[in-house]
Amino acid sequence: MAIRFNFSSILLTGTLLVMALASNSAITQDIGDYEPEKAWDGNPDLNGVWQAIGTAHWDLEDHEASAGLPEMGAIGSVPPGQGVVVGGEIPYQDWALERRRENWASRPTGDPETKCYLPGVPRATYLPYPFQILQGTDRIMIVYGFAEANRTIHMDVVNPESPPLDTWMGRSYGNWDGNTLVVDAQGFTGEAWFDRAGNFASNALRVTERYTPINPNAMLYEATIEDPTVFTRPWQIRMPLYRRLESNARVVEYKCVEFSEEILYGHLMKRED
Amino acid sequence: MKCRTTDKNFFINPFKIGVKSLVLLTMSFAVNAATPNHITIALSSISEAVGWYEEYLDCQVITGREDTVNCGNTEIEFFLGRTVGGSAGTGVDRIGFSVPDLDAKMADLESVGVSGAGVRLVRFDDGSLVRDIPGLYKTAFITDPWGTKIELVQDKNLLGFHHIQLNSVDPDAALDWYNRVLGGERASLNGILDGVLFDDIWLFASKYTDGRPGMTQGRTIDHIGFEVADLDEAALQMSRLAVEFRQDPMVPDNARSNAKQAFVLGPDGVMIAIVEPGWEGVEEEIVMASTESAELYVVPRTPWGEPDLQGIWTADAAHGIPLQRGVDIAGTDELTPEEAAARRERGTLNSIWGYDREWRDTTLGYVTSAPSRQIAMVIDPPNGQLPETTAAYKELVAKAPPRIPPQRARTPVDLGTYVRCITRGPIGMMMPSIYNNGLQILQSPGNIAIQKEMIHETRVISTEPREGLGDGLKTWLGDSHGRWEDDTLVVEVRNLNGRTSYLGSSENMKLTQRFTRTGPDTLEYSFTVEDPSVWTEPWTGMFTFIKDENQIELVEYACHEGNYGMTNTLSAARTIDAREAEEVEYQE
Repeated sequence: MAIRFNFSSILLTGTLLVMALASNSAITQDIGDYEPEKAWDGNPDLNGVWQAIGTAHWDLEDHEASAGLPEMGAIGSVPPGQGVVVGGEIPYQDWALERRRENWASRPTGDPETKCYLPGVPRATYLPYPFQILQGTDRIMIVYGFAEANRTIHMDVVNPESPPLDTWMGRSYGNWDGNTLVVDAQGFTGEAWFDRAGNFASNALRVTERYTPINPNAMLYEATIEDPTVFTRPWQIRMPLYRRLESNARVVEYKCVEFSEEILYGHLMKRED
Repeated sequence: MKCRTTDKNFFINPFKIGVKSLVLLTMSFAVNAATPNHITIALSSISEAVGWYEEYLDCQVITGREDTVNCGNTEIEFFLGRTVGGSAGTGVDRIGFSVPDLDAKMADLESVGVSGAGVRLVRFDDGSLVRDIPGLYKTAFITDPWGTKIELVQDKNLLGFHHIQLNSVDPDAALDWYNRVLGGERASLNGILDGVLFDDIWLFASKYTDGRPGMTQGRTIDHIGFEVADLDEAALQMSRLAVEFRQDPMVPDNARSNAKQAFVLGPDGVMIAIVEPGWEGVEEEIVMASTESAELYVVPRTPWGEPDLQGIWTADAAHGIPLQRGVDIAGTDELTPEEAAARRERGTLNSIWGYDREWRDTTLGYVTSAPSRQIAMVIDPPNGQLPETTAAYKELVAKAPPRIPPQRARTPVDLGTYVRCITRGPIGMMMPSIYNNGLQILQSPGNIAIQKEMIHETRVISTEPREGLGDGLKTWLGDSHGRWEDDTLVVEVRNLNGRTSYLGSSENMKLTQRFTRTGPDTLEYSFTVEDPSVWTEPWTGMFTFIKDENQIELVEYACHEGNYGMTNTLSAARTIDAREAEEVEYQE
């Protein structure tokens, strides 16, 4: 893919998004009033351990409770949940809707999460595990526990180069729009899914994220998803992210490879008699 | 490492041919009577290359010319240079050597194996190494460790250096060009293979159909060289033939003799040096980057006042440093730059397995940091040797079941946590390797993230006292507790799950790591291992990371996601099982 980053269009997209959402969102109304704690450089201090709460990791859209892994009983079932897609539905192209159905059918072994693959963006954000934000001097790092995923967000790059190669976690460039951290992420492999329901994008995916503190212990997370090869138009997800308040809150190393090996290599293993 | 060259980085020295009779041209319109003089190969360790061509292709070392070998009727000169790939597919696809018994030669090379020698054998589609071309000769292909494609033939009439094989969109026209501009004789080997015969070296050309061949310059065979009696006169003649000069005749800086050289561009992107008799190449001046710590270096601070260790660092320079001091270098404090370069290259060759040069970061052409001259990683005990192991540990080792070889692996567990893309462990994860040596450090107030490129692992370390993880929660890389001691980050690692081991280290290991900036571009890293169940006393290793300004961020090493090796290894093991089961059945 050849992509050029264009910050002015990101800002425009972001601004329009906030305007469009402002009328019907209680979360958005809170943004204007709150003046967050500031880091050394005068920008909002997002340092800390955060986590999404909800069922977005199961399905970004509204979903009823359903059977999961029967052998695990109710623990294996999929909990019901309210969607996080603004407007309710993901605007798939026809072929892509079919592909999503196939993904759903194959999810016990097809979901990259079951294989302990890097979760990609935005999925890493709302996996049901904590992640840590570290604000360095010219870049921000987000460290996720699952699959040892991480992202470096470059805050000091004036004319970003196109991502030189496609990766699971993409290339992220960020800037501050008032109290909002805006991150433009592109250069994805297209192999990651958005959730356990098989929602997906291609390697033309571009995610514009906005992290906006709304009180000392929460921020609004908004992600605009663009992928003209899969969707009929850009669409958004939005959800709060919560600060983990435990004094000893940590992102605990979660090396999941060994738990995926049966799925990946079981057919090649020699069983002891 | 930088090599000082003439006026362009790519060209360095050609060489001379010993005494060579000039070919007399009786046909064609050749205006010059040139003879092949040299092949110039860009690579990452001159001394290793000299040794390799001496050992495997019977070339001779030339006294006083440490960068050149004599291969009978031409010379091969080497220079340190970054390349973007091997010779195959460029205007000079390969060079050919002739041996008296090709089957025996290939059997020898096969028995040497890739490991250690870096010889890569190329098999034909049917799996054979040697192919007999009726009426011509037997032929086989190998590549040297630096990506030079080499053809080995059995031509009893012409042993030693045998031919230069060009790629050309129009082979006939290319051969005509060489014949017209440089001389030689348009001829045919055994009536089968058309070429130009220069004295006793053939120039062949293959039809290249995949677009245009690549430029030689910047690839392993950087250029080929011809000698003419009078370069000024030859240049004049060539100008009349509209030959494109890339460098006019001149005596380069640092030339070993006062003979001139020029560069012309041949057909199909072939860079050609033209040299005068007496040409002895150019003396390379190797500039070593200093890794010495500056006495007065002041460690920079983050805006919030902590020592600033942030940036992208690499362990490339440390690749090749043995853990323990070799007994044969007992009195030495540090290697010479050339010894250090050779050591790192040897380390790389020893760990090539099946990897092409392009896969390896530590070949000098790809890394910007000079190889470390450090003798050994172990700095304590001061003799550079690991302490004695305990009696209990020795007993444990004696009783340990034999390691299961990969071809017998039953499950991924048999292949180890590194191959499984889980981790190299808390010590191993920091160690230099042949690739993906990157290390990113990022700090926020009171926290420091240490991210390793290989496998991709990130530890977030608090530099303020904090409640550790409880005894019931142990992890592969443990719980890191950091603190600043002056400008040094000291990290104590606790809560290790003990499922990885470094040279026998146990779950009782106490690991302490120290990170200190010793200069603008150097980050000294040391690790102290206390494990009384294994070693009778603590020991400390140390090496230095170098700032890597070429990287904007670490390459995403999606190791597990692309672990085809795991599938292939297990699949091969199951195939071996099945074959053996069949054999048993057959015998019964």
